[in-house]
Amino acid sequence: MRKLLLTIGFTVLFAPSAFAGEIVKVNVNGMVCDFCARAIEKVFTKQDAVESVNVDLSAKQITATMKDAQTLDDETITKLVTDSGYAVVSIERSEGKDE
Amino acid sequence: MHIHYSPTAKYSLGYKGEYWRDGEYSIQAVQMNNLLKRWNNPDSQANLYIKSGIGVAYSDKGAFDHETDLAAFTGVATDWENRRFFISYENRYTDAGKIDDFFMQSARVGVAPYIGEYGDLHTWLMVQVDHKPEARDHVTITPMVRLFKDVHLAEFGMNNKGEVLFNYVIRY
Repeated sequence: MRKLLLTIGFTVLFAPSAFAGEIVKVNVNGMVCDFCARAIEKVFTKQDAVESVNVDLSAKQITATMKDAQTLDDETITKLVTDSGYAVVSIERSEGKDE
Repeated sequence: MHIHYSPTAKYSLGYKGEYWRDGEYSIQAVQMNNLLKRWNNPDSQANLYIKSGIGVAYSDKGAFDHETDLAAFTGVATDWENRRFFISYENRYTDAGKIDDFFMQSARVGVAPYIGEYGDLHTWLMVQVDHKPEARDHVTITPMVRLFKDVHLAEFGMNNKGEVLFNYVIRY
């Protein structure tokens, strides 16, 4: 019984989360100015679920790395980008840390 | 000086303080900028704004010495830019009661000598043409350099009358 409880305990502690370090790539139109795009970085960084943000003007893409087991839904992301003054083209999601 | 807060990209509200050397008066106003239309394209962005303000004008010149009056202004501004080129135009009509009223407009073109990535120091070479029909020199031309990095933007220039232009913007 003790062995079974330990096994369950370790399983719970070390099981990979469904959203561990999720990476969200947002393709955006209108993002041509570094100074103006600072608003994007600011609003994403303010989100509790977001660990880091990267803006790529050449790729016209925002990459947000989520904290473990956390995410932002498409509606929230679209609102953040739209309120910052840009237009969302598409949203792509992948698992794992962005190395 | 212009200090404003933008809850969203659609509008901003703030304080505008300015001093007009020709008429020797100042205007302290609450200014509101509204984005009427934005065109977000894959490689460019264009905007159309209306900018308006209301406040107080204070003169320390001649017959209007120590005179205070209500002041209001409004105008449209439009711009287009991609990562290499920039062009803008704006106008404004200002009514400062018995102290002054005037119309002015300005246009600006710019080119970036290199394309910087996010976080780099960005450099723009620009020329601004100002037209104020009632001024002594009603057209002024100002070549300038615009530099920005992170949340800091600075512009340095000198117009054809030898007057120095310096603008600094910080984004909080």
